[in-house]
Amino acid sequence: MPQMLQNKTFTSLLFCSILFFISCKKEVKNIPKISKQDVVNTAFKYAEGFTITHNENFKILNIKNPWPKAEKEYKYALVPKNIASKITLNKEEFDGIITIPIEKIVVTSTTHIPALELLNAEETLIGFPGTDYVSSEKTRARIEHQEIRELGKNEGINTEVLLQLQPEVVIGFGIDGNNKTFETIKKAGIPVIYNGDWVEKTPLAKAEWIKFFGVLYNKGKEADAIFNQIEKDYLEAKKIASKVKKQPTVLSGAMHKDVWYLPNGTSPEAQILKDANVNYLWSKTSGTGSLALSFEAVFDKAKDADLWLSPSYYNSLNALEKANQHYTKFDAFTNKNIYSFANTTGKTGGVLYYELGTTRPDLVLKDVIKICHPELLQNYTPYFFKALK
Amino acid sequence: MSKTNTYKTPFVILILVLLCCFFANISLGSVSIPFKTIFESLIGTTDNYIIQNYRLPKAFTAILVGSGLGISGLLMQTLFRNPLAGPFVLGITSGASLGVALVILGAGIFGGVLSALLISKWTIVIAASLGSFLVLLAVLIVSSRVRDTMAILIIGLMFGSITAAVVSVLSYFSSAEQLQQYIFWGFGSLGNLSWNELAIFFIIYCFGILLSIVSIKGLNTLLLGENYAKSLGLNIKQSRLIIILATSLLAGTITAFAGPIAFIGLAIPHVTRQIFNTSNHKILVPAVFLFGAIVMLICDSIAQLPTSDYTLPINAITSLIGAPVVIWLLVRKRKMVF
Repeated sequence: MPQMLQNKTFTSLLFCSILFFISCKKEVKNIPKISKQDVVNTAFKYAEGFTITHNENFKILNIKNPWPKAEKEYKYALVPKNIASKITLNKEEFDGIITIPIEKIVVTSTTHIPALELLNAEETLIGFPGTDYVSSEKTRARIEHQEIRELGKNEGINTEVLLQLQPEVVIGFGIDGNNKTFETIKKAGIPVIYNGDWVEKTPLAKAEWIKFFGVLYNKGKEADAIFNQIEKDYLEAKKIASKVKKQPTVLSGAMHKDVWYLPNGTSPEAQILKDANVNYLWSKTSGTGSLALSFEAVFDKAKDADLWLSPSYYNSLNALEKANQHYTKFDAFTNKNIYSFANTTGKTGGVLYYELGTTRPDLVLKDVIKICHPELLQNYTPYFFKALK
Repeated sequence: MSKTNTYKTPFVILILVLLCCFFANISLGSVSIPFKTIFESLIGTTDNYIIQNYRLPKAFTAILVGSGLGISGLLMQTLFRNPLAGPFVLGITSGASLGVALVILGAGIFGGVLSALLISKWTIVIAASLGSFLVLLAVLIVSSRVRDTMAILIIGLMFGSITAAVVSVLSYFSSAEQLQQYIFWGFGSLGNLSWNELAIFFIIYCFGILLSIVSIKGLNTLLLGENYAKSLGLNIKQSRLIIILATSLLAGTITAFAGPIAFIGLAIPHVTRQIFNTSNHKILVPAVFLFGAIVMLICDSIAQLPTSDYTLPINAITSLIGAPVVIWLLVRKRKMVF
């Protein structure tokens, strides 16, 4: 069977190439060669969800994990604009053929915006679903000047407006393979690239996805430099924290009804706590997704915890107390040692941490170190986290 | 009615089982607490926060929820002469859901002031009670004009679809965070009440139970059919009103405080009828009370997954128990006591 298949493929390839030779005789000289020697893989230090392959004339972007346990890889051809007219690629082979650098883009998650800004490519953003969530001042100004179109709320992107905008690419994200809106957009001829930064397991791996945007803008080197700086700052901060002997105990999350949700020990959030050299009380747990624990299990373990970080969306001690009397029985509550990113928001209420935290884990780590070991990082003021009042 | 005495033994057994379940429920949980500490904190010689302020209110909530839903299910099944009726057929849950949805999801649309109130638990309780009360009021008005009890049943179901439609429109315009909150409300929960909240819950619950006891005689007469009941001198309209009021008080407050709890109201009356083999409400009402409380305590103990740190949503457990009961009922329908 495989033999037959191979023969078939071979015959059809032969047929195609003959056709090709006949049809573009004049351009024969310009036909790009795709020889094996030209293929160069860019190796990533942390990120596992995507690869970039350099051919002589174009690049291939492979998205391996657009969502957890994805069944197929997504393969996109990135063709430089100046040779786009001279190159013919087999459309069937790719999930999208995109000319780079991109001049008109639509992204769908606030986590994509910092990468555009760091690469000085924010001018290319022409539409976003739920613009109120955007916090960055630069991009907010463009929204106010109506240079960025509102594409509707939640995942329900307004397809008509999007088609009217005609972006060269839409950066989507999916929880699983079923996303009808993106399928419609694809059918209309606009390529959709799934960004899988959120699937990565470590903070630095998530941050490395800036290289994904780098290649789209032909700014690979800039992206490398930005990431190297973030990595360097992150590792330096980690090193500083590692020297401290006393590890404060840390509680995280909050209850929905009577179930307490908190990050598991292998999550990126727990990784940051570990790198900040604190004793996260659930660091030994594993699994996917949040831990869902009973109130009493959390109370028993964390009643005396020194610090309480990220209590869900609660933005004041009063709000916590109103939601549940039990919260007031924790030492961290009575000592007012609760820190949250919920109060650092943009003009329209978007939480900055959700937008920038993925791209700048160095800032998140420094915040946590400063809160947990106040004697370190003397000149640093936490960027996202503030004590609840 | 002289037969009542023959039920003494089963009732004594049920009460003992209830007590056992109550203590088991308090003793079991994610954190293992020595029996001595449990006992001492129950009589008040030792302070144990988990026992006194988490497990005890949770156990009492379970008793109120289980018994209340069971009884209101029984009332509805008898009133509508329909074995598949439950406490929620009158659109009570739908009304409560709509109230909660307006508060949680509507905050995104109406903005500002509402979203500031959003986090308070009382807002949700009040919204749920108001929602179920308003739907009930509509049903009552309709029922005073419509003679046929079946029509009221259908009208209740229609209210359900209307609210479901409004909720889906609201959820389309809400943020992920709001949706999450609404979904968590829908899971139902028993362990979320403080003693103060429990006290208010208990007072309203008592009114509901009192009305149910008052309506026992009417319920027994209704079993003979509405026309026959009328010929026996029963004021159908008045009995119907009392029964509906009792149900809405019970189911309404339970939904307000604990969220929509599935299946208990439907399944418990059937199980009780099968076991006691009677349709006399003098027996059924107290028996359903005990059974409902016992089953809810057991469900909660299972949901807490003793010795593990994890918990399951209470609705998943009640449905797991409830659904097979309904299937079993349909399979056995010919022999069903009703």
